[in-house]
Amino acid sequence: MAYTNSSDKFPVAVIGAGSFGTAVANLLAENGEVLFYSRRADAVEIINTERKNNGQDIHPNIRATNNMQEIADNCYLLFPSVSSDAFRDTMKFMAPFLRPDHMMIHCTKGFDIKLEPGKTILDKDVTLQVADIYTMSKVILEETCVKRVGCMSGPNLAREIADKQPAATVLASKFDEVIREGDTALRSNRLQVYSNHDIFAVELAGVLKNSMALAAGALGGLGYGQNAMAFLITRGMGEIIRLATAMGASRQAFLGLAGIGDLVATCTSPLSRNYTVGTRLAKGETLEQIIATSTEVAEGIKTVSISKKLADTTGVKTPIIQTIYKVLFEGLAVREAVGFLMEYRWGQDADYLL
Amino acid sequence: MLKSVIPRIKDWPINLIDKKKDKILQETISESILEFNKSYPTLSQLREQLQKTLYLENIRIRNESWEVDPEDESDFWKKIKKRLLEADPNKIDEDKSKKLHQELLQDIMSRYANEIIGHFNPNMFWFARQLLVRFFARLFNSYFGGFTGIFKPHDELKDKLVVAGPVEKLRNLSLKGTVILVPTHFSNLDSAIIGFGMDYIGMPAFQYGAGLNLFNSKIFSFFAGKLGAYKLDRRKKNPIYLETLKTYSKTNVLAGAHTIFYPGGTRSRAGNIETELKLGLLGTVMEAQRIHFEKNPTNLAPKIFVVPLTISYNFVLEASSLIVDQLKRTGKEQYLVHETPQVAGKGIWKFFWETFSKSTDLTLSLSDPMDVFGNALDDDGNSLDKFGNKINIRSYFVNKGQLKADDQREMIYTQMLGDKIIEGFFKNNVVYPSHVVTFVAFELLKRKLNNPDLFTLLRTSEEDREINWEDFKASVKKVIDELYMMNNRGQIKLSPNITTKELHEIIELGIYNVCIYHTNLPIMRNKEGNITSEDLKLLYYYHNRLLGYGLHKFI
Repeated sequence: MAYTNSSDKFPVAVIGAGSFGTAVANLLAENGEVLFYSRRADAVEIINTERKNNGQDIHPNIRATNNMQEIADNCYLLFPSVSSDAFRDTMKFMAPFLRPDHMMIHCTKGFDIKLEPGKTILDKDVTLQVADIYTMSKVILEETCVKRVGCMSGPNLAREIADKQPAATVLASKFDEVIREGDTALRSNRLQVYSNHDIFAVELAGVLKNSMALAAGALGGLGYGQNAMAFLITRGMGEIIRLATAMGASRQAFLGLAGIGDLVATCTSPLSRNYTVGTRLAKGETLEQIIATSTEVAEGIKTVSISKKLADTTGVKTPIIQTIYKVLFEGLAVREAVGFLMEYRWGQDADYLL
Repeated sequence: MLKSVIPRIKDWPINLIDKKKDKILQETISESILEFNKSYPTLSQLREQLQKTLYLENIRIRNESWEVDPEDESDFWKKIKKRLLEADPNKIDEDKSKKLHQELLQDIMSRYANEIIGHFNPNMFWFARQLLVRFFARLFNSYFGGFTGIFKPHDELKDKLVVAGPVEKLRNLSLKGTVILVPTHFSNLDSAIIGFGMDYIGMPAFQYGAGLNLFNSKIFSFFAGKLGAYKLDRRKKNPIYLETLKTYSKTNVLAGAHTIFYPGGTRSRAGNIETELKLGLLGTVMEAQRIHFEKNPTNLAPKIFVVPLTISYNFVLEASSLIVDQLKRTGKEQYLVHETPQVAGKGIWKFFWETFSKSTDLTLSLSDPMDVFGNALDDDGNSLDKFGNKINIRSYFVNKGQLKADDQREMIYTQMLGDKIIEGFFKNNVVYPSHVVTFVAFELLKRKLNNPDLFTLLRTSEEDREINWEDFKASVKKVIDELYMMNNRGQIKLSPNITTKELHEIIELGIYNVCIYHTNLPIMRNKEGNITSEDLKLLYYYHNRLLGYGLHKFI
């Protein structure tokens, strides 16, 4: 494919061919050509010939490639959508190809944690400082020369986007320019786009909600209904906001799509990996058993550990997170955990807004 | 003293620009008018801004007039008022009215630009240098042999003024592009001391903005007015003045004038290192770099280099009045002033005398030069990414191949530059014993009194101020241990007085140095040998110097 467009319409790129990456590529393809990067040559081949990936059809405007140089040469706007574990390495790999006129909007809800060699975030003796935690936009700024950075976040379950159901997303960036470009590339009759300048808060909201998805799964596993779920979502939001404030974020974004919106979607969707982990815990399985039978560690497990450690160093009160942590790492039974939370003296409602 | 990078003062950029000052003035005025009309494109908007300016200027003249103000000040604004009435678009033809408003704008901007503009006189520079060198030599005759550009420990106290950091690189870069020096700001003496320090490492003179109030002093006015200082008037907050000031500085940076900007805006009232910057003037630097790229092909576009500078003092000339000012601002009714601190003119002489004749010193600590995006630079001024590959920063102003101005984008870039500058301030802050002892004493006192609010703490009675000597010593040790760790991680720098001395010597020296200058001692040992303070405000002020590092956790 040659890109000799005389207008300012350039192809956009999606980096990472996971299920969300595929969904985003299909969204972008509605507005123009998309270069779709996978590091695996065989995957590229299959996408280009069979026109299917992760169970999703591939839009005709999409072409897969594993040539990063081609992407860097032809695209100005890039959407990295790789897991948070692989994000820093991906940026290191991309860095030599990137130029200052590239813009990046990442779609990854996760943290990159600076740890001593040999340690993992699940280790009990690891403590965390706010400065050890990198959001994906900070990783981009640190590893590459790209400065115009944004993120896409919100209640965007890959499956539903793949099914072409209507959805809304938040594009966050300090740069109007990045939001403008991202909006033009993404907006369609099935995706409503909102903007936010507070990228840090939007990124935090996207990650911190994962613990609550796990707790929601546990409640579901015990067969509890909507009263308990609403209790969890609302008080969970409070803990998320308090933690984020302690990390230096402002609160506004948490009341929007990327905050409460994403939290509701995650806690009420039984299909997500986090929710499933919670359900299995409620059925009496231990963390070891769950990890042994999963292909990758659910993001929520890491988020619980990160949130708990952060709450410890910042002194933020987070009873729900502390309790989930005990279930995951200290063998507390889910039923007892619920019992504990029912006895806890919460005090005033909506105190996180005071 | 290092050899001057450009041997003849006449060839210095600041002098070459001074020769073109009429052109700079004209460009400033026409460019300011252009920019102002862009911001306020309609006649009614422009009229509103002119009325606002007139209103603010009348208040200023009535409430706050200075000796330095020109005699025709009120006449000028009376005439402006009359002309503004005559130009009323409801009374005359619109085209005529527009023309009259433009003339008014032009006349006001022209008056401001003529007031702001600085001058440089090579002979005066040479004269001032001789004078200062003799003055310092008399004060401290063994001093000049020991001046070095490299930060290293010395067994003798002959280095009174140390310029630390990448001196050679700065000298090189001054020949390859325009240097913007961005220092921390603690004292009105900063500019003089930086000027002296930069001259000592052979840098050509910098331009800098000096508060118009300083020009009330005839001596200052006589020297500074001919040594590259331009005047900025903090009383004038009207939009027309601010536009003219910004454009003047931008025009000079574009012309290649090495410039000192204090990104904190004014002196640090609380004595801390600035963590919030005024980005207005810094924004003009970003804009100037973009304009260079617009006007020139990449390989010929002049580059602008930004160099943060952290000044370390043992004591600050205006400490007493600065901290009172700070407390008044933050405390409002909680803070009642009992005494008005006086800084007499002889304070300056006392300051120099104490600094250079007794065992205390000053450090100008340079950060690594960077481009306007905070990237590192090689010796030729090429921007480097973190792997050391050259990058073309022109592209940061480019969207899909088109180089275009985008104010919002440049504002965010400027914020990012501000963050890099603050990072440089903190990383290259050179810690003195006096900083450590005041920090520890205040934190211990706070802890002893169970963390009261600041104003209660400052009113603590003399007998309650005492801190046990052993506790104090132990805490100083802990803080110093942590400072060493931070130093190893590149987060802070330590003066030789900390790295080469024993704990008790560090404490003694610290207490001695911060007290040399003050009548009421901010920190002292009492008869029992414990630590106390005669002036808690001052102790607080000096303590603030080490804020922002999280050191209180180690006490």
